[in-house]
Parts: sequence; structure tokens; C-alpha cells
Amino acid sequence: MIRLVAVFFLVVAVTPAQAQFNFNINKIIDSAKNLRSATHEISEPEEISIGNDVASRLLGAAPLAAEPRLQRYVNLVGRWVAAQTSRPGLPWRFGVLEAPQVNAFAVPGGTVFVTRGLVERMKSEAELAGVLAHEIVHVQQKHHLKAIQKGAQTALAGDALAYALKDARSTEARDKLLSLGTELYSRGLDKADEFEADRLGVVLAARAGYDGYGLPAVLQTLQAMNAQDSSLALMFKTHPAPGERLGALGEKMQPTLDAYAAQPQLVERFAAEAKSR
Amino acid sequence: MMRFLIVLLFPAICWAEPATVVRVTDLKKEPATDAATVTTLAENVAVDAQERKGGWVRVRAGAAEGWVRLLALRYGGTAQSGDSGARELFNAARTGSSGTQVTTGVRGLDEQMLANARPNPAELAKMSQFSSTADGAAAFAAQGHLQRRVVPEVK
Repeated sequence: MIRLVAVFFLVVAVTPAQAQFNFNINKIIDSAKNLRSATHEISEPEEISIGNDVASRLLGAAPLAAEPRLQRYVNLVGRWVAAQTSRPGLPWRFGVLEAPQVNAFAVPGGTVFVTRGLVERMKSEAELAGVLAHEIVHVQQKHHLKAIQKGAQTALAGDALAYALKDARSTEARDKLLSLGTELYSRGLDKADEFEADRLGVVLAARAGYDGYGLPAVLQTLQAMNAQDSSLALMFKTHPAPGERLGALGEKMQPTLDAYAAQPQLVERFAAEAKSR
Repeated sequence: MMRFLIVLLFPAICWAEPATVVRVTDLKKEPATDAATVTTLAENVAVDAQERKGGWVRVRAGAAEGWVRLLALRYGGTAQSGDSGARELFNAARTGSSGTQVTTGVRGLDEQMLANARPNPAELAKMSQFSSTADGAAAFAAQGHLQRRVVPEVK
């Protein structure tokens, strides 16, 4: 890369020939393109490493709820649901954040958070499994990872030279990538990704043996809450409205939901493990 | 303590809650598609929702009682019909989180906290302590009588 910079300045300084100048600009833009395509295939270890950084930042906004029993319980439910995905070998881990807001977050590489505010509004393990399944699908489908990459590509396209002249692995580039990553949790994913996570989340929960109505039941609860409730602000900003999500599930998932509706909801186990403080 | 909590929790599931039917829906005698139809409920009809059984919720609509599809119901007192209700809800949420309005003082994980968050590697390390192994999770699932199923994806 340094050689490229040298060539660039040399060309600008010594040869005024327009043709040659263009040639070298193209070469630099090409290298920017390479960087973009290089980010296209983020390896699993890289995904996990990016995820660790993002998860650490989210934990900087809200710490874990100080209840080991609750944390272990959520990890058991989550790990079992994650075992039904196409990526069972990821280092899956789950955490309840000490925050009154109602929300859940998926982080690339297999980390999932749910807020205490949301857990408190659930009525069964099937509901918890449904919410975790939705987040697990985001990880399985690499929704956030792809959005981070897309953001990085836009940044590159907008400022091709500046980025082409930087090592992709430099701290600065990494910081940029990270803030893009964290920002995503305030901005939200594409609606289509959310609807896909709802559909496949229902499928995952049913695969894990739960009543698939857990996720729709949580959406019903959210829908019944006052939309002005400030604890919903971020969740509602980053997701389609619960009523809209329920409508979409009804359109496509009714047969799946009905086929597995008799599977366990585990109301009592949830009450014992998640509500015992 | 546990029994006390269960007693507290069940009413949340069993008690009547005001709800609205969001589309024309059959009120069924039993919670099944092939059950007899008691009556047909019009869009926006207010009902009292009671217990849920699978994808069905027992409701009382005026003098009539029976079961309707869970997904045909929206909980809450006010009528919110289909899209317009959803949009209203969505817009209200958007305005509320525009950042220029100060919300009612819930602290914790909001947009501003996220933007200003510093990494917390100690908490991340703590989190890993609670993670489960695949075997541990499978044993836990078996205790709850959860059985792995083959369920096709829906695109």
C-alpha cells in the first residue's frame, strides 16, 4: 500500500500527462475495489472478532443483570435453539442486560442480548425461545455482518482514495468499522431482514420443540403496550410495528404455527427460573 | 415462593383482556378450523380475550362465546385496524425516539447510551462464564420434554 501511495505522488508530481494520471487513479480505485471485495468474505474468526468488539460496546451501554441463575437459564434455552441452526458450532452465548427498555440484540459471531425489560414481559419459556430464535436467525443469516459490510462499502465508495490508502487492518479502519457496527443498533436492519428473522425464528423455535406461538405472543404483548412508552422507543424505531409483523406472520406462517402449537410452552419452568428474584 | 409466583403469573394468561378483531373472522365453537362456526365477527369488533390454546384464543363477543385465531386479534382497548393502526403505532414510535423529544426518563439502553458507550471487556468476559455447552443444553431440553423436530423453512 505504501508503494502505491509513493507511485501516486510520483506520478502527480513528475508526469503531467493526463493519460498516465488517469491510469494511476484507476489503479488506486481498483485497489479500493479489492478492499471492498475483500470485505465481502469475512471469515468466521473475523466475524467472531468483530462480534466481540461490538458486544463489548453494547455491554458498555448496559451491564449484565446481576443474576447468575437467570443468565445460565437464558444460555441453556438459547444454546438449545441455536443447536437447530445451520451454524451450531459458533461460540453461542446469551445475556440479559440490566435495562428497563424492551429490546433484544444479535451480534455477529453468536452473541445475543435480551433486556430485562423484555424478559419481565414474557410469560413462558416458549416466548423467550421465540425471541432468542429471532435474534439467532440474524446471526445465522449474517444480517448485521452484511449491513456492516455494506456500510463499509459505502464509506469506501464515498471516500475511495482515503480508504484505499489505509491498511484495512489498521486501528483507524477497525474503529470506523466498529462505530458502523454499533450505530447499526440505533438505526436498525432492513425491514426484510426483520420479517425473515420472524419467519425463520418461528421455524427454529418449533425445531427446538417449543410451541411456535411464543414469538407471536410476545409481539401481541408489545402491540398492546402504549406506543408512547419510552421503554419501547429504540425497539420501535429499529423494527417494523408489532401489528405489521403479526400480519406478516399470519400470511405465511399460519400452517407452521398450527402444526406445532401443541408443543410445550414451559410456563412453570420459566416462572421458576426467570422470575425468581 | 415458586407456587406464589405461578399463581401470580397465571392470571396474566387466563384473565380477560380487551382485544380487537383485525379482520373478518369466524368465531369457532372449539379451537379448530373444522369446528362449528358460532358466528362471524366483523373487522374491528371488540372482544374480551381469555385463555389461549395453541393458535386459538377463547373470547367473548357480546353474548357469543367461542374461539378465534390468535393472529386475528390485537390486544388493547382501542380499535387499531390493520395497516393504519400499525402505521400509527410505528409513526408514534418514530416521533418518540427522534432524539429532540426527551422521553419520560427511562434510563438504560437507549440511543444516546449506545452512541456514547465505551467497550466493557470485563463484562464480556463475565458473560462467557454463563454460556452453556451443546450437551448441557440438550440435557436441559430433555428435562423440559422438548423434542427436536424437522420443520421446513418458509421463505
